[in-house]
Amino acid sequence: MSLNMNRRSFLQGGLAASALAALAGCKKTDGAAQGGSEATMAAAGGNVLKFYISNPVAIDPYNTQETQGTQVEHALFDALCGFDWDKQEVVPKAAEKWEPNADATEFTFHLVKGAKFHNGDPVDAASFKRGWERICDSTMPEPSVIAYHLDPVKGAKEMSEGKAKELTGVEVVDDYTLKVTLTAPMADFPYVCAHPALAPVPQAAIDDPNSFLTAPIGNGPFKMDGSWVADQYINLVRNDDYYGEKAKIDGIYFSIQKDPETAFREFEAGNIDFVDVPTGRMAEIEGKYGLSEDGYTVTPGKQALTGPEAGVYYLLLNQNDETLKDPVIRQAISLAINRQNIIDTLFEGTRVAADCIFPRVIDEDPSNAWEFCKYDKEAAIKLLDEKYPADANGKRGIKITLSYNSDGGHGDLMSIVQSDLEAVGIDVTQDSLEWAAYLKAMGDGTYQVARLGWNADYPTMDNFLYPIFLSTSENNYSKYNNPEVDKGLAEARQITDEAKRKAKYREINAMVGKDMPVVPIMFYSHMQVGSDKLKSFYYDAQTKGDFAKAEM
Amino acid sequence: MKTRPSRTLWGDAWSRLKRNKLAIIGAIWILLMILVALTADLWVPQTLGSPTEADSTVMKSMSRLPPSLEHPFGTDTLGRDVLCRVIYGARISLAVGVLATAISTLIGLVAGALAAYNGGWWDTIIMRTADIFLAFPYTLFVIAMLAVIGPGIQNVFIAIGILGWPSIARVFRSAILSVKENDYVDAARAMGASNARIITRHIFPNSVASVVVYATMNIGGAILTESALSFLGMGVVPPDPSWGIMIQDGQTYLATEPWLMIMPGIAILTTVLAFTLLGDGLRDALDVKMKDA
Amino acid sequence: MLKFILKRILQFIPVFLGVTLILFVLQNVVPGDPIQLIAGEKKLDPQTEVNLRAAYHLIETDDNGAPIYDENGKTIETPLWKRYIQYIVGLFHGDLGRSYQQNGKPVANILAEKYPYTVRLAIVAIIIESIIGIAAGMISAIKRYSAWDVGVTLVTSTLVAMPAFWFGMLQQLFWGVFLKSVTDGGFYLPISGAGGPHAEFEGWVYYILPALTLAAVSTAYTARIMRSQLLEVLNQDYIRTARAKGLSRKAVIWRHALKNALIPVVTYIGLDFGGMLAGAILTETVFNWPGVGFETYRAITQRDWPIVMGSVTVIVIVVMIINLVVDVSYAFLDPRIRLGSSKSE
Repeated sequence: MSLNMNRRSFLQGGLAASALAALAGCKKTDGAAQGGSEATMAAAGGNVLKFYISNPVAIDPYNTQETQGTQVEHALFDALCGFDWDKQEVVPKAAEKWEPNADATEFTFHLVKGAKFHNGDPVDAASFKRGWERICDSTMPEPSVIAYHLDPVKGAKEMSEGKAKELTGVEVVDDYTLKVTLTAPMADFPYVCAHPALAPVPQAAIDDPNSFLTAPIGNGPFKMDGSWVADQYINLVRNDDYYGEKAKIDGIYFSIQKDPETAFREFEAGNIDFVDVPTGRMAEIEGKYGLSEDGYTVTPGKQALTGPEAGVYYLLLNQNDETLKDPVIRQAISLAINRQNIIDTLFEGTRVAADCIFPRVIDEDPSNAWEFCKYDKEAAIKLLDEKYPADANGKRGIKITLSYNSDGGHGDLMSIVQSDLEAVGIDVTQDSLEWAAYLKAMGDGTYQVARLGWNADYPTMDNFLYPIFLSTSENNYSKYNNPEVDKGLAEARQITDEAKRKAKYREINAMVGKDMPVVPIMFYSHMQVGSDKLKSFYYDAQTKGDFAKAEM
Repeated sequence: MKTRPSRTLWGDAWSRLKRNKLAIIGAIWILLMILVALTADLWVPQTLGSPTEADSTVMKSMSRLPPSLEHPFGTDTLGRDVLCRVIYGARISLAVGVLATAISTLIGLVAGALAAYNGGWWDTIIMRTADIFLAFPYTLFVIAMLAVIGPGIQNVFIAIGILGWPSIARVFRSAILSVKENDYVDAARAMGASNARIITRHIFPNSVASVVVYATMNIGGAILTESALSFLGMGVVPPDPSWGIMIQDGQTYLATEPWLMIMPGIAILTTVLAFTLLGDGLRDALDVKMKDA
Repeated sequence: MLKFILKRILQFIPVFLGVTLILFVLQNVVPGDPIQLIAGEKKLDPQTEVNLRAAYHLIETDDNGAPIYDENGKTIETPLWKRYIQYIVGLFHGDLGRSYQQNGKPVANILAEKYPYTVRLAIVAIIIESIIGIAAGMISAIKRYSAWDVGVTLVTSTLVAMPAFWFGMLQQLFWGVFLKSVTDGGFYLPISGAGGPHAEFEGWVYYILPALTLAAVSTAYTARIMRSQLLEVLNQDYIRTARAKGLSRKAVIWRHALKNALIPVVTYIGLDFGGMLAGAILTETVFNWPGVGFETYRAITQRDWPIVMGSVTVIVIVVMIINLVVDVSYAFLDPRIRLGSSKSE
């Protein structure tokens, strides 16, 4: 079908060169050109939100691993719960309620009754078990890389090691009751269940996995119209049989563009409604399109978003490095970096200088701030003077190599860091590595100082401590090893009382802050803009658009 | 006349070249570029500022200014003078063009000579290897090569240089083969001259004309390749001012500040054009038969 | 003739093996591991990594695809030569392997999606190239030393000296940005993409700028070859004889000269078509065109070696076939070639 269409459009293309003059007449009047398909009927309503993404890795929930795929996937699927940024709590989605046992090792979820997949199949407890098992199934043609989400669940490890065929920790009590058993207490587990990838799938996902990859059948407010056309578009229409409040827009058109610059040109031409703002143009965009009131919601005339995100940019200090083993040097490095200057110069003031590991949207408690996580050049010099007096040239004999990946536009930031450090007498050389080589250096620990951006999987304080600072964590690239911190992290996960748990995490944050295995630089913020066709569109701190509530 | 063919060859060529206006314009432009690039340190920083460093205190007010008397080509996002970057970019382009061509030519000459003079297995193996290199889509091959050895200016001319040898080898090989048939080579051999002597004294001077023409044109090609690689982000590493990188930077501001991409493009165009015109002129002057395409 | 074709195909085999072997070696000396790259900055957990390695046959597996461990509990890496043989064997079954980065999508499927765009763009570009190139070459040969001739020479030299991506951007600037602003949005062209359901223009409009960009350099070469060939033919004896016999200049050109002069031009265009089918990385990049060139380039930057291997394999085969077809038809068109080749054998 689509091939035929392509051939037809090409035959017309043969006439192109001679028909240049007639071009103006060839502009489409928004979807009116062809009839028949569902897509064009929806377009005729004019209520289609055109959203820029880059080509996703996967939109099938079992392997949605990056923001672009997740963007599409969460419009198609509803997980057990969701996270409400206004209320700051986990809210029901496919599950209407749930309860943990006393020590947070067992969670019982009660599903909404009568919910259906896009193909009419019922959304039952078995469909959740099916969906989760696909995530840890090591025999999938492409095993999922996000099986770590289910690490807390009993039997998940066995299944991903190929030793079990079933996810034993997930029990289908009846059609609408799902009981999840964990290997260790984790009071925050419902946050994990709010991750869009932990979605239910119908039997069709098992029967026809190949078409499920490009046209997944979900239970969410939107459904696929046709398949994902790689590098071009993914077209979604409203699911009118949705069990919850139905979407107000007719569909979402995910326009796949190779880079933000191209997408932005399309935005300026009026072909895309929501895009990233290219570097260096935020100020201009704010002036032209108006600044959003809350930083997250696009409304006409207030279209530029700058709301803080749940992500942090930091420098890794290799704890096994002889030079960096000295806490004085780690503290001095942190004190020497002028974070606000970086933000003003490179990010037009949109981001927030980091003073601890928790982004503001994760926890705002002012006592979180680390003592040395601020700019104080004099203090840095004073710290260093005692142990590393400067020679006549202002050098202290401290040599640092700053490693970073060459492809992410980090060069300018690293040059500023370099000049800041040299201003307090630390010798710095830059080592810009190609991406693959950089990942290897980080993984092998063959670096001194490196950079990393960490974005939350779940909006919990745990997610900014456990994976980064637990001594045995894969993502502990700075090789930080503090038994006290390890112990505290295990304890915190058992505390079912939210306030007490948060207090415990703040305590751990303070412990880490004394050791400074990392130097937080800044918290990420939105740099997006929407068109004036959007009456209301909310784009949350985890960079997910709330399409179900969008209005046009 | 046949014993000293080189003098007349080059002498005649020079007098013919002098009459070719376009080739002379090309040569003058190239000399001018070389002069500017070599002397840049003496006068550019004082008048136009640094091509790489940016001053964060005034960055905002200097960002992307349109062309003016003070900044004839305007300024870029970090407030650097575009003309200044174009001038320093000439260094990179010329260096890559000349060095990459030198590498290709060196490898190509040796390989071509070995293949043509020894014949037999030498010829088969060398020319089959050349075929393999030429069977690769060229741009893809250079990019893949840079993916292996990493970006950076040295790696750019190494990659372009190494991948450019097969064409030169072919040109030189066929040139030698045609010279080899000539009587004076047979005569030299009959007189008991050594192989090395035959190659350096007889074959080389007579085959080199086509290589000179080819290499001149190749410099332009190498400059184009470098700009493409840098444009794709696989070539010269910022903040070094490669023309390709400048065009890449300017792409973002195509609609609003087009001079950011136009100026470096014109620099590439004129430089490559100059080498092409000079190459064409040399070809006519040296009377080298070149196969098209 | 059959012997000629067979000989060409036999010659191709070592070239083909050499090309794939070089790529195979390249991917092994590249720093960084494609499997580790899949997760990016967040590290893969060790078990997932092992599962992925098993799925891609990078480590030894049993018949069920489960990894085999040695006595130390470590996985066993499949040696490079074995993977190369597996690749070549798979090739004969039409299996090009699976992408590392695109959720294990078969490379054959990816290429099947991308190739039509490259082929269609190449066809449009070849049409532009043939019409404009031949016409311009003819005009400048017939009106030699006229203003036309000088103009064509200047324009072709300029086109050849331009970076293709820059020329593409200039066109975007003129057709998309400048015309849009001077006509107040009344007349302009799309500057990127290939259209789609909610696109602003009809699908074919999207071909114009990328095809013009892709055709630019080739059009210049076509014009140059056309000019030099026609001039050469016009100087030959039989043309002079025809003229002497009283045929008009026009008739000589159209009936006799053109036919002979066109042979090398058509050959060039044929070979150029093969080159275009190799994918135009720069044009596709500038215009956000979903073709095979951009895909391969992206695969290289993402270390997605199965795609690089697969597309270069296909490209080399396609180019070989086109070259063969061109050579064979050239031999048919120009009998001298056939004689020449049989003499040298």
